[in-house]
Amino acid sequence: MSLLPAHLPPNAGARKYRLRPLALIIAPIVAVAFQVKAPLFTEYLSYLDPPLLVTVYFGLMRREPVSALFIGMGVGLLQDALSQNPLGLFGIVKTLTGYWTASVSLRMDSDNNMVRAIFAFAFYLVHQLLYWTLASSLLGQQFSFEPGEALLFAILNAAVAVPLFQLLDKL
Amino acid sequence: MELLVNRYRNVTILAIALAAQLFLLAYQVKSRQEVRSIRVWAVTGVMPLARLLDVLHANTFGLISEYASLVKAREENRKLQDRVSKLQMENQFLRNDLSTADRARVLALFQARTPSKTVAAHVTGRGPDNSKVVFVDRGANDGVKKNMPVVTSDGIVGRVGAAYPSFSQVVLLIDTNFKAGVISQKHRIPGTLKGQGHSTCLVDYIQNQEKLEVGEWFFTSGDDLIFPKGIPVGQVKSTREGKMFFQEVHLVPSGLQKGLEEVLIVLDGVHQPLPDSQTVQAQQPHLMQPPPAEQNTSSGASRVIRGGVVETDADQVVDRYRRIGIVQGHPYGAGGVPNFNIEPPPPAPKPDPESRPAEPRGQQPE
Amino acid sequence: MPDPTIPADLEKDKEPEIRWVLKEDPKALTNRITLFRWVVLAVFLYLLAGFWALQIRDPDYYDELAEKNYVRSQPLPAPRGRILDRDGRVIVDNHSSFSLYLSRDNLKTDHLQTVCKAIDLDCEDLNERLRRYDRTRAKYEAINVKGELTSAELAFIEAHSGHDNYQELEVIQTFRRIYPRSGMLAHVIGYTGEISESELDSADFARYKQGDIVGKTGIERQYNDLLMGIDGQRRVLVNNRNKILKVIDHKGAAAGKDIRLTLDLDLQAVAELSMQDRRGAVVALDARTGEVLAMVSRPAYDPNRFVGRIRAKDWADIRDSADFPMMNRAIQAVLAPGSTFKPLMAMAGLEDGIVEEGSHAVCTGGAQFYDRYFKCNIRSGHGYMNLNRALIHSCNIYFQQNIGAKITIDRVAEYADLAGLGKKTGIDLPAESEGTVPSRKWKMRTQRQRWLSGETLSVVIGQGALTVTPLQLAHAIGGLARGGEWHRPHLLLDPPPALDPPRKANWKPDNVARVVNGMFGVVNQGGTARGAVIPGVELCGKTGTAQLASNDLIRSRKLGIALSDNAWFVGFAPRNNPEIVVAALYEHGEHGDRAAPIVRDVVKAYFDKKSRRPAPPLVARARDTAR
Repeated sequence: MSLLPAHLPPNAGARKYRLRPLALIIAPIVAVAFQVKAPLFTEYLSYLDPPLLVTVYFGLMRREPVSALFIGMGVGLLQDALSQNPLGLFGIVKTLTGYWTASVSLRMDSDNNMVRAIFAFAFYLVHQLLYWTLASSLLGQQFSFEPGEALLFAILNAAVAVPLFQLLDKL
Repeated sequence: MELLVNRYRNVTILAIALAAQLFLLAYQVKSRQEVRSIRVWAVTGVMPLARLLDVLHANTFGLISEYASLVKAREENRKLQDRVSKLQMENQFLRNDLSTADRARVLALFQARTPSKTVAAHVTGRGPDNSKVVFVDRGANDGVKKNMPVVTSDGIVGRVGAAYPSFSQVVLLIDTNFKAGVISQKHRIPGTLKGQGHSTCLVDYIQNQEKLEVGEWFFTSGDDLIFPKGIPVGQVKSTREGKMFFQEVHLVPSGLQKGLEEVLIVLDGVHQPLPDSQTVQAQQPHLMQPPPAEQNTSSGASRVIRGGVVETDADQVVDRYRRIGIVQGHPYGAGGVPNFNIEPPPPAPKPDPESRPAEPRGQQPE
Repeated sequence: MPDPTIPADLEKDKEPEIRWVLKEDPKALTNRITLFRWVVLAVFLYLLAGFWALQIRDPDYYDELAEKNYVRSQPLPAPRGRILDRDGRVIVDNHSSFSLYLSRDNLKTDHLQTVCKAIDLDCEDLNERLRRYDRTRAKYEAINVKGELTSAELAFIEAHSGHDNYQELEVIQTFRRIYPRSGMLAHVIGYTGEISESELDSADFARYKQGDIVGKTGIERQYNDLLMGIDGQRRVLVNNRNKILKVIDHKGAAAGKDIRLTLDLDLQAVAELSMQDRRGAVVALDARTGEVLAMVSRPAYDPNRFVGRIRAKDWADIRDSADFPMMNRAIQAVLAPGSTFKPLMAMAGLEDGIVEEGSHAVCTGGAQFYDRYFKCNIRSGHGYMNLNRALIHSCNIYFQQNIGAKITIDRVAEYADLAGLGKKTGIDLPAESEGTVPSRKWKMRTQRQRWLSGETLSVVIGQGALTVTPLQLAHAIGGLARGGEWHRPHLLLDPPPALDPPRKANWKPDNVARVVNGMFGVVNQGGTARGAVIPGVELCGKTGTAQLASNDLIRSRKLGIALSDNAWFVGFAPRNNPEIVVAALYEHGEHGDRAAPIVRDVVKAYFDKKSRRPAPPLVARARDTAR
């Protein structure tokens, strides 16, 4: 696969992205705040999932599963706290998302826009599927999972992810 | 062993994090207890930022719309000079501004007019899981408590689902967890409003025989001991005869029609008469008892039966003979010979007090 | 290839280890470890999922009882059949109602006070019931706390019962019976209620199951099988939050059948109004068929209070009342018939040839028989009495001298038995009383004593050990008036019941006519019921004034009041080919003539209605409840 940076061995300690600690805290909160607020302006914005994109971004850039999973967990719990669900549902899903992004990103070139878009796309789908599975199996909630719709929104989120990640690069 | 943990450090930590959250989830599901503190932190942390976004929105999106209308104006009338188009654009912008100002003014007017004690609140966000809840910037510090009604001048919006120190979660009336007592304006038919998870609501427990018209208004009935009586709820969109006694009445809620920005939280509700009531005396509001305790003192052991079916033919035949007896001054089982073939006078309009009574609770004289 | 940096000896030491490692392809080894990791993870997840299902999501799933909890079967109650009068007018109707259940799984005790206040419940009563349930029932069984919710209560419960609120509140739709008000027909119709443990064990209710609503008394019980529909059910899969996940199956309910009774609401209404504020009973029969046209028992209770769940206090009030409001006096009150028994004795005397053409007595207000002095009902005496005058004026001395002294008690018992006394009439109502017809055998069996001739003298005037129910009296006299033809009293008209042929006596029509004429005189020739004359109707009858049965005497002493004698009147009309026979018991009415106007009003209603047929527009309104 051409996207695999063959010249970089997985554990080559490639450019480890150092994020300022403040950004680590502010970005997830802003993302959640945006998700909570934006749909009030336009209904379409409710299909965006900025908290997920932020989780994917940090996983991608930190390349360190442990910190990525904690960031994911934080974002997820924050979402849980604002939802009607018991705490932990988004938390678990985002924890896994963070961990997996970081694990996979070790083998990828995380600065490549194409890679970023594919990550956002794939992990949006993984996230939705996981959320649906957990909500229905753990909490017995029933809502339908529509693959077509999910695919469409995954593309939308991937499209937004590229500029958003570039914005986050600047932080 | 140490080696093993080191080697699988990541997986171990992942497992611990997942296990901890599973435990948290299990605790909540099993004990039905909330972990309130986490929610309080989250709401307190996120909501101020959401408000900040409001400000951002007002500036950026204001600019964007300005730009959009500029382009539009050019396309529509290229020959107009810059000045004119600019004026137009300004005009448009001002009109927008005015409409929001209008709305705020209407709400303020409404707040001043309504006899209930209310507090104005700004909608700061909505639930992240596409749920039908919103957050407002008033909380327990402002006297907000769980289950308090949330309204606008257009109608009811929802009820407080949870009150945090300076923010509250509001369950919208379209949420499936939302239910409230309502009554139709024209025929005064009581029912229960149920959120359906989408833009229309259902009014349940209205018998198939009852008359309802499309477009008819529903108001709160005060029966639920949450909403004070007399607040608009919405208009009937469609009715259909249901299978088990009750119609399927769909309602378009009026409180959500113009979007949600400013709302009022009713701290202390006062029942009001439904508009267009026949008597004027009902204008005097009566105090709503503190929810949900005392309202009910008037209710007796036996009460009106829904749909007005209160008696069988047997009761009516007895009434008829009783009236025949009265007309002839005949004491049954004594006295002279009665004639049962006369037609008795029609029954008095007031039902026998011994009968199952007719006034539903909370129905004030109207 | 030896590593130059490692000394040879060390390398030697290390060699076996390296060899061991290198025995297999290192890549394959890593793969295996990875595979192993995933397998362990999968096993772990599998176990975790099992644990979750068991402990968190469906904690009771594998409990023995939990199947019921998880797969919840929601009854779709079938409406009971309505009960109509003979013209199709509705006596008992249904309507849909809602009941509140408290799920004890989710119960928060601090919610109870609020709930009790908001929907008007007796909180102490509820707490007591909760404690009882906790001792005896499984935790998942919800407790029915209130039926017949008003729309206001429903709104309150619905608005507060969300998952973030009062989770213990559950509303279930049921059907409720509407009975006539003020206890009208309460005893005949009866009431319904949840099937009891003892009923479940009985053969009558073998086909029903716990929680079914069945008829408890009266017609509701007698024709329960007809009236009761077949409940449908919807089986649903629910999660631990009672949220319905899936509907497994759905079986519609089949409504119960309507039944039409022989009762005529016009007559019933008149009889009810006549007995207002009185104690006693009225029974009107169609003498030609045995159809019950009206049946009243007072004091009554309001069966509407039994609908849903009766409050413990209300039930205690009814149960402990000294008036026995639950007793259907028409078929359960066994009292001495007094002089209303005389027509049958007159018939016996005539048929047995004891009473002859010239039989007479001179009543001086009393007479000595054997060694006891018997008083007549008029102290000054009736003077010269033949059979006709003795019936008209109800002279005891005539009956004792000309019949009582000459007839054996066993012959009296045979006539009484022929007329249907001393045994159940077989009316289609539960718990009918038999009454008592004394005989030699009866006395030996019950008291181990010989019958004394003097006792027969009491029995022929309707006193002594003889007791009857109002229904038996109406049945007996109606059959007598028709020349000895007794039809089994019954209440069911449609679906038509299987009727036995009438019991017949081989009596001489002349003898019957003599007795009937005497009874005509009672009303129309200045007799004891002259106040009951109906112009244009040949009402015949007989009054009776009966001393109190011993239990009444005891009760009167307990209450510290003197209770008067019971008043009876039994009448039929017309004189020839009688159609209607009515018996009225007016407890403590003092004298039979006080009961006569009750019968008169009912008979008048019968003939008034007959004269205005074809029926006025009092047709059954097709009310759209429960259908």
